Amino acid sequence: MGETTIAGLALPLAHIGHWLWVFYVLPVLIVIGGIIRSTRAEKRREREDKD
Amino acid sequence: MNLALPFAHALVAKQDLPIPAWLFAWAASIVLVVSFFALSAAWRKPQFEDERWRPSAAWLTAVLRSWPLQVLCGGLAVFLLGVGVYSGIHGTEAPDRNFAITFFFVTVWIGFPFASALLGNVFPIFNPWRAIARVVGGAYGFVARRRPGHLAYPEKLGRWPAAIGLLAFVWLEVIYGSSGGVAVGLEPHAAGVAACVYTVYTLAMMALFGTEVWCSRGEIFSVFFGMFATLAPFGAKEGRIGRRRPLAAATRWVAEVPGSTAVVIASIASTSFDGAEDGAYKSGLEHVGKWFSDAGVGPLATIRITDSIFMIATVLAVAGVYLLGVKGMRSVPGAPAFRELQRGFAHTLIPIALAYLVAHYFSLFVYQEQAQFTYLLSDPLGTSTTDLFGTAEYGIDFSALGSNLIWYVQVAALIVGHVLGLTLAHDRALVYWSDYRRASRSQYWMLAVMVAFTCFGLYLLSVGGA
Repeated sequence: MGETTIAGLALPLAHIGHWLWVFYVLPVLIVIGGIIRSTRAEKRREREDKD
Repeated sequence: MNLALPFAHALVAKQDLPIPAWLFAWAASIVLVVSFFALSAAWRKPQFEDERWRPSAAWLTAVLRSWPLQVLCGGLAVFLLGVGVYSGIHGTEAPDRNFAITFFFVTVWIGFPFASALLGNVFPIFNPWRAIARVVGGAYGFVARRRPGHLAYPEKLGRWPAAIGLLAFVWLEVIYGSSGGVAVGLEPHAAGVAACVYTVYTLAMMALFGTEVWCSRGEIFSVFFGMFATLAPFGAKEGRIGRRRPLAAATRWVAEVPGSTAVVIASIASTSFDGAEDGAYKSGLEHVGKWFSDAGVGPLATIRITDSIFMIATVLAVAGVYLLGVKGMRSVPGAPAFRELQRGFAHTLIPIALAYLVAHYFSLFVYQEQAQFTYLLSDPLGTSTTDLFGTAEYGIDFSALGSNLIWYVQVAALIVGHVLGLTLAHDRALVYWSDYRRASRSQYWMLAVMVAFTCFGLYLLSVGGA
């Protein structure tokens, strides 16, 4: 990944490779977020059922 | 003509993939999430707690346990260990041309886990130290007219000696061996000496605690390969060979013996570290290494200290992710004690440990085995003085595997390994929580663990170095 040219413009993309790990962390965060959300929803439902 | 390539762990760089590697991580995560919901909906009773072992034909057991076969395989193993030690000590110092390195670190270290996961526990019959110990024990019994006495093995130690030994073995290979500067890989001489030292240590421990006890608890290779054998559809029971439900034997492997979780975690962590050393960790290693070199530490010591720190950090990180998952499960009503859960779910990481091995070493195995069975066999010393089988001039055909094929095998291994891990975890949860809804809820956390390990594994592969 070096320099990419679009219509004569040189885009500075040389360092994007260092940030590729973000794409691997995102699905993990989404799953963890989903777990936290559904756990909370389930606990709320349990509380409501008790009430 | 031989191709003299530096011996390196072949994490082939993926430059020509049709879609970016990180997209595979997303796809793998989706597969895991879908599998999770499918398991929650359709899998409501434990299926793996019972092995459903059925004996195979009696003649098969008779042949596999026969004395001639044991002597033949044991003798061959001792001979090959001797060849490895001799070629390591007296052969060339080029790691890729010396029989010892490929034999110890590829053929045995990677070959036996693959064979064990497919065929069951095949290593005992090929274990050279067990063969020597049995012969010596038999001779002692013959001369002294009594069986050798042994100390009682401290059961609290469990498989901890094997877990520590596993890390020490990988440390020797990856960290001690990465000090050459030019050629990557352990010097054959060091490997030969290490094999001698390990032989003396193992035989001493076998004499102290008994051959079979040490093999099941402390002998690194027996424990490591035996762990993968629990995934196989074949196994022995009361001396008889039989078929069983694949993966089922794993459900008891960890729970019964302390230190087993440590073996599984050490296995995943050591493979991860090996994969990350030349890729994901590279800049971190250089950064930390600079502190030590600025503090006046020599270059060799700097590499070893920095690598060791990162290796320990990887072990702690893998253990941390797993224990976080266990901690999450504890929050579900009706959960057993933390310790029980920690032991109860560790076997679910065994398919992942195998997946990591396949993903990281599959290509290396295919390439190096070509060398093993051609020029390394004909010229074990690598000094071009022998051509035992007329194959000394052969080389490795690197076109045998396309880079896309390697990548697909790696991705498939990771996904299948993690789905199997998830399945084992769900199955075990149904044992602890009889209400399947609670069992599924407890498995949210294992899903997070599996997705994290999958993405980490794919990330390591995508930025893999040499």
